[in-house]
Amino acid sequence: MPDIVPRRRLLLASATTLPLLLATAGCRSSDAFTGPDPLAGRPRPAPDVVTLQAVIASEQNLIELYRTALSGDSAAAGPAQELKPLLAQHEQHLTQLRARLIQPPGTASAPASASPASASPSVSPASASPASVSPSGSASAAAPAPVTLARLRAAEGASAAGLVRRLATVEPALAQLFASIAACDATHVTALGG
Amino acid sequence: MAAITAVSALAAALAAQDAAIFGYGVAGAHLTGSRQDAAEQDWVAHNKARDTLTAMISQLGGQPVAAQAFYQLPFPVQDATSAMALAAYLEDGVTRAYLGIVAVSNQRLRDFGAVAMQSSAGRAAYWRGSTQAFPGLDP
Repeated sequence: MPDIVPRRRLLLASATTLPLLLATAGCRSSDAFTGPDPLAGRPRPAPDVVTLQAVIASEQNLIELYRTALSGDSAAAGPAQELKPLLAQHEQHLTQLRARLIQPPGTASAPASASPASASPSVSPASASPASVSPSGSASAAAPAPVTLARLRAAEGASAAGLVRRLATVEPALAQLFASIAACDATHVTALGG
Repeated sequence: MAAITAVSALAAALAAQDAAIFGYGVAGAHLTGSRQDAAEQDWVAHNKARDTLTAMISQLGGQPVAAQAFYQLPFPVQDATSAMALAAYLEDGVTRAYLGIVAVSNQRLRDFGAVAMQSSAGRAAYWRGSTQAFPGLDP
């Protein structure tokens, strides 16, 4: 009567011998499949996604600047009736930009926007770093700088210039959205007295 | 969707500029003072842009299309209010045309189109009296 190898032992043998066979043949697990190694972790986002996330963060920075300017604590920026329409347009920008961002389920949300005090006229991915968000309620935290018209103008101008710099790195439809938003930002510079 | 060629995008912008040049001639006749000065400045700017676009099209091997003798206006222009509305309308058309250049693959042309959009959007905002969220894009 032939020995019947228990099913469990047979399956265990297969599980241990397959990697051994692959290793001795100089193969990695990914060589048995087409595409990237499934055990190597989440693939990096495409360049367009990274750019779009940075632009979204920049837009959020602008919105926070306007909200601070419109708040009771910062009356240096001028009448609310002039600023509210501009803020509303930036909120429309943010809506459209977010609509272009397709994130797989379970991925982290876009980086948190920088605090208004840390927003500088120079727009760069570094300005969207979550590390620049200052803790709220801290007794030692410095009060945010007042948001003046000049500061808003500088931020709008920097946003427009930053968007134009990114045009070459994105696909045509996204480039057109960036250019349109940049044109709006440029009109805001004039509307703010520039 | 067929790729937008540089020559076709530039040609569309040239057509928009030619229409603006014609339209500003009509609008300016109904404006006075600083508004008339602004219309004249914008008319000069559009003429310069037309010359630039004509040269660019020729450099790329295209054949610039001459301006029409007459352009149908979108609405009657009878006073300063309608004249300013026409100016804003013309600038919106120019902005849309330059947006088309932003879609081409050449980086320098994209930058050129984007910068031109900022100028025309700025003029449109002046004539309209307000800014728009997405200049050049359909609302």
